[in-house]
Amino acid sequence: MSDTSTNAVHIFERHRAEMRASKRAMNILALVIFLICLALSMWISNFTPERLANGVPRIFEYFQTILPGLQWDVLFEGRNEAGRATPGSLTYWYTDFWTYMSLIWETILMAITASLLGAFGAFVLSFPAAHNFAPARWLHWVSRRFLEICRGIPEILLALILVFMIGIGPLAGVMAIAIHTVGALGKLFAEVNENASSRPVEGIAATGGTWVQQMLYGVVPQVTPNFTSYALLRFEINVRASSIIGFVGAGGIGQELNRVISFYSDDRVLAVLILVVLTVTVIDLISERLRLGFIGRENFA
Amino acid sequence: MLKLDQLTRRFKDTVAVSDVTLDFPDGQMVGVIGRSGAGKSTLLRLLNRLLDPSEGQILFGDNDIARLKGRELRAWRSDCAMIFQQFNLVGRLDVLTNVMTGRLFEMPGWRAMAQVFTAEERALAIQALDRLGMAHTALQRAETLSGGQQQRVAIARALAQRPRILLADEPIASLDPLNAKIVMDSLRSINREDGITVVCNLHTLDTARDYCDRIIGMQAGRVVFDGTPAQLTAGMAREIYGAEAEEAFNESATSTSLASDPDAAAAPVRASA
Repeated sequence: MSDTSTNAVHIFERHRAEMRASKRAMNILALVIFLICLALSMWISNFTPERLANGVPRIFEYFQTILPGLQWDVLFEGRNEAGRATPGSLTYWYTDFWTYMSLIWETILMAITASLLGAFGAFVLSFPAAHNFAPARWLHWVSRRFLEICRGIPEILLALILVFMIGIGPLAGVMAIAIHTVGALGKLFAEVNENASSRPVEGIAATGGTWVQQMLYGVVPQVTPNFTSYALLRFEINVRASSIIGFVGAGGIGQELNRVISFYSDDRVLAVLILVVLTVTVIDLISERLRLGFIGRENFA
Repeated sequence: MLKLDQLTRRFKDTVAVSDVTLDFPDGQMVGVIGRSGAGKSTLLRLLNRLLDPSEGQILFGDNDIARLKGRELRAWRSDCAMIFQQFNLVGRLDVLTNVMTGRLFEMPGWRAMAQVFTAEERALAIQALDRLGMAHTALQRAETLSGGQQQRVAIARALAQRPRILLADEPIASLDPLNAKIVMDSLRSINREDGITVVCNLHTLDTARDYCDRIIGMQAGRVVFDGTPAQLTAGMAREIYGAEAEEAFNESATSTSLASDPDAAAAPVRASA
């Protein structure tokens, strides 16, 4: 071992010690800033331990009011001759079961329609919104800003406005979710496009293809698997969104959930909640399977 | 006849192609040589307007290529096919569709959008593939092929354009010697049999000597040599290549001469019917 190499070690160690010291200082500073922000937000939102301690029992109180009074001996009893359900039976608890189911079906259809519409809009806009493929800088700027506006407005707010514009019902909900989907999915699609290879695009350009043809033949085949995967992911999110959006009158199961909460606040709330959670979970599982299956197949092709 | 008149292209403060004046008579096979960065690729990309010239003219007949726009520009690109060092095929499309994209310019817009190809277009594409010995891969995805095979598909795509000029930008730089020979033989037979002008960028000297009627040497964006292979002396070549001379002369590294390889005799190109 020569002197010069031990010297190199010495210099490196000193450099490393300096780096670590400055990094530690940065970490402490970040921690202090974080704590200040936390304290501020707790103070502004009145988040105090007493309030939390007072509130927790009330959560359980509420749950008690929405729990069904099921009784084991009559649990599976159907309707009697007069067509009345026995209190304490499942039939009594889920009297409106088929109403709920048709609303859940409506919710799923809303999510599918909104996802398809949104994915189509996102697909079209993702090419001018990708900086490497945009045919003109102003078009790139316009499509980027448009996507930002679409995803910047919360779905529920859009739905509220659309309910005023086109009336209560699922159409307002579908439009609201579709617009938000265009913005959210369009950004993701554009980023996928930005990672696509430009070589095939150049190849198509050299044959005399138009810009649309360059996108269709050069880019689309490269990005289809990613687009599909993102669109399915967005569909999962949209199922959740469309079950909430009814709170402002935009159709689906959310409208019924809002109704039973504000009018009855009894076991019907829990009945609807259970169905919503089940639906979202089942859709998530199916869509995840599809997505993984699709990506997996692509990787082994 | 393709004429370049004082053609110049600048990138910010570097001049990639500087004041180039050249004539390309129809049916010639031209090799453009020079070290990397000499402006060979830029020159080719100016010819089909993948790049726009900063100054000067490109004349084909009475047409000023440098001023074409829109449909006329695309018509010129369709007439002036190009093959690339990295093949530039669409990997996830099948080979046949890749070749048929050579017909895009002639297709009505709705058929191109819907990706509907006619029986004639398919037949033309298969004939082009068959000419390069690649018809058996027609329904495979392009990305499943080897580099040499992909370059032959790329040549078939260029042929499907029924071009008047074929530009080849370092077509063999990413290939092994056997595939390099197959590709160069194909280009030469297209030049001889179809009378298509071929302008080919080459990095190695011996390939240019073996295949081209005429060699153009470039250095720092300028044309420093223009003549037959016989006129290109060793001293001249050394000047063109500068510091890279040894590499360019080292024929075993990237050359297409395969005298000792028995497979080399199997030329892949057949005359089209």
